Amino acid sequence: MTKYPRIKLINGEKYFFRFDMDLRIQHIFLAGTVVILVLSGMPLKFSDASWAPYLYAIFGGINLAPTVHKITGAIMLLLFGYHLFWIAKVVYKNHYLRMKREGTYTTKGFLLRVVKLPMVPNLKDLKDIIDLMKYLFYFTNVRPNGDEYTWKEKFDYWAPFWGMFIIGASGVIIWKKELFTQIIPGEVINFLLIAHSDEALLAGLFLFIWHWYNVHFSTSVFPMGTVFLTGYLSEELMCEEHYDYYVKVMKEEGYEKEILPPHGGGHAPSCSDYAPKGDDGAASFEKISEAETSEHLAKEGGTAA
Amino acid sequence: MLLNLIKRPHWSFGALLIALCLLPGWVLAADMGNCLLCHKYPGLSRIDNDGKMKLMFVNEEIFNKSVHSKVKCEGCHTDITKIPHEPAKPVDCLTVCHIIEPTSEQKFSHKSVKTFIDESVHSKIDQEGKLKKFSEDMPTCKDCHDNPLFRPLAFVKKVRPGIAEDAMGRCRVCHEKEDFIFRFYNHITTRLHKSRSPLNVAEACGKCHDDKALVKRHGLTVMAGSSYAETFHGKAANLLSETIPDCLDCHVVKGKSVHQMYGNDDPRSSTHPENRGAICNSVDCHPKASVKFANYQVHPVFNKDQSPVVYWFTTFFYVLTGGTLLPLMIILFLDLLRRLFPNATFRRRK
Repeated sequence: MTKYPRIKLINGEKYFFRFDMDLRIQHIFLAGTVVILVLSGMPLKFSDASWAPYLYAIFGGINLAPTVHKITGAIMLLLFGYHLFWIAKVVYKNHYLRMKREGTYTTKGFLLRVVKLPMVPNLKDLKDIIDLMKYLFYFTNVRPNGDEYTWKEKFDYWAPFWGMFIIGASGVIIWKKELFTQIIPGEVINFLLIAHSDEALLAGLFLFIWHWYNVHFSTSVFPMGTVFLTGYLSEELMCEEHYDYYVKVMKEEGYEKEILPPHGGGHAPSCSDYAPKGDDGAASFEKISEAETSEHLAKEGGTAA
Repeated sequence: MLLNLIKRPHWSFGALLIALCLLPGWVLAADMGNCLLCHKYPGLSRIDNDGKMKLMFVNEEIFNKSVHSKVKCEGCHTDITKIPHEPAKPVDCLTVCHIIEPTSEQKFSHKSVKTFIDESVHSKIDQEGKLKKFSEDMPTCKDCHDNPLFRPLAFVKKVRPGIAEDAMGRCRVCHEKEDFIFRFYNHITTRLHKSRSPLNVAEACGKCHDDKALVKRHGLTVMAGSSYAETFHGKAANLLSETIPDCLDCHVVKGKSVHQMYGNDDPRSSTHPENRGAICNSVDCHPKASVKFANYQVHPVFNKDQSPVVYWFTTFFYVLTGGTLLPLMIILFLDLLRRLFPNATFRRRK
């Protein structure tokens, strides 16, 4: 972990570690293959659409595009395999081996630890969703205090995870249909085609609407969030989306005195307005006059005090 | 005679026609009946008795590249004996025409097709020779065939189909008549593959087989064209694949012609459940595929009555897609709106 400091200071601004190089490369492979697969697959699903032949022509038309689609799909499946290996490695090294070393290993304890991994959905996510609804329906001005990974990110992770499994498995069977139908009946291919293309449409729409909104088009990150390239997230966005985790990291890294108030507490849509200006770091906190902000801070256990 | 014609109301272009008829005949010396004297004009058309516009223009250049280019107009339009002529009757494709069939040296006719058709699922008569119910729905020659252009396949030209000059060069070594070389080459290479693209074939069959009322009338189980379009085959055909199987590749017994198609329940039919496996795993398609493979529904139906499992399976994905995307898009929209009014909470106003 020394390789990636949890907080990096660049020109006096704090950046928070999110994803290591391994994960970032995995993401780029995933993003690249998804885009190619969607673009080379949708013209088939909507083969009678006016745009279909033109889009298909980019990938070589009917004579080449299916091959492009299959090769790209194979790369994605290799990535999926690698990712499963990566998870196993992390769990083995950081949890299993560590517990063994510390002599605290029990099967139950180990499983509990796995269930509490930051990417596993939990009750906090439910609370965050309820808090988000309160925020979206104007019951409060405070955004939910996300943990290391928010429910949105978990959704972004598990939806493609399930999608890749369904689409990947059906894709391989459709690809090697002659082989698989030695065992399974031909009718199953009909169902697999439906599953493959409908699930792909869902995945595509999900990623290009929801995921892209969160990482590209939302006013917080427009035109593009950079965490997928740098692996580090700015303090402003950290406050906005991961306030609980932010406070935890700030404390653990000895920046307790510099913790910013939560996002949304003031007149400004982002907490950058409260960011220390020049040397006058403490003075900026005086701006917080809203009653509910202090109320909120009190709820947080006086972290900012 | 000419004056007579002018008075007839359906000769809407009468005046024009007269002018055309007065043109010198030598302009179109190759056209024996001198039909192109009038029919070469692109605007030549008339409104017939049911109010439909009929275009009578014949593009000589295109006609000469068509499979019937050697047949003279009067070879098929046998009712026309003089110019100007009465409205022509529909052509009977079984007419014995003036072409000599080179292998038998007899006058050529498509008559043998009729014997095939009468045996097939598309015949108008049943086995006892009686007219079938709704026999008028059964296709006649011109429902499927037009006057197709030569569609040469070039072995030497690898990039795109067309006439291979290299191959023609080989013909010229022995054969002298350029017209013969052109026609012979085109006839052979056009016949070596389909004269229509798979999409074109599917559309031709779909004219009847996608007609809801007709499908129902004849007790057919599927809309053949549109269900084909739901499979990879149909989708590839839509995207203009030339090699993807179309209707005829499965429904015509290998080695037979399209005129010898039989119903699925006929043991002679290639799509009879007993024979089906052999179509799919032919060397050209899915070699080594098992018989189970042929159970794949090439005409999938998505309605509740015919395939409830497929229906509910599809519905599950619709619900999953809607159920995932709609709430997320509502959140997205509310979030955008919320960012416009960051301090608009009800509680603050108290």
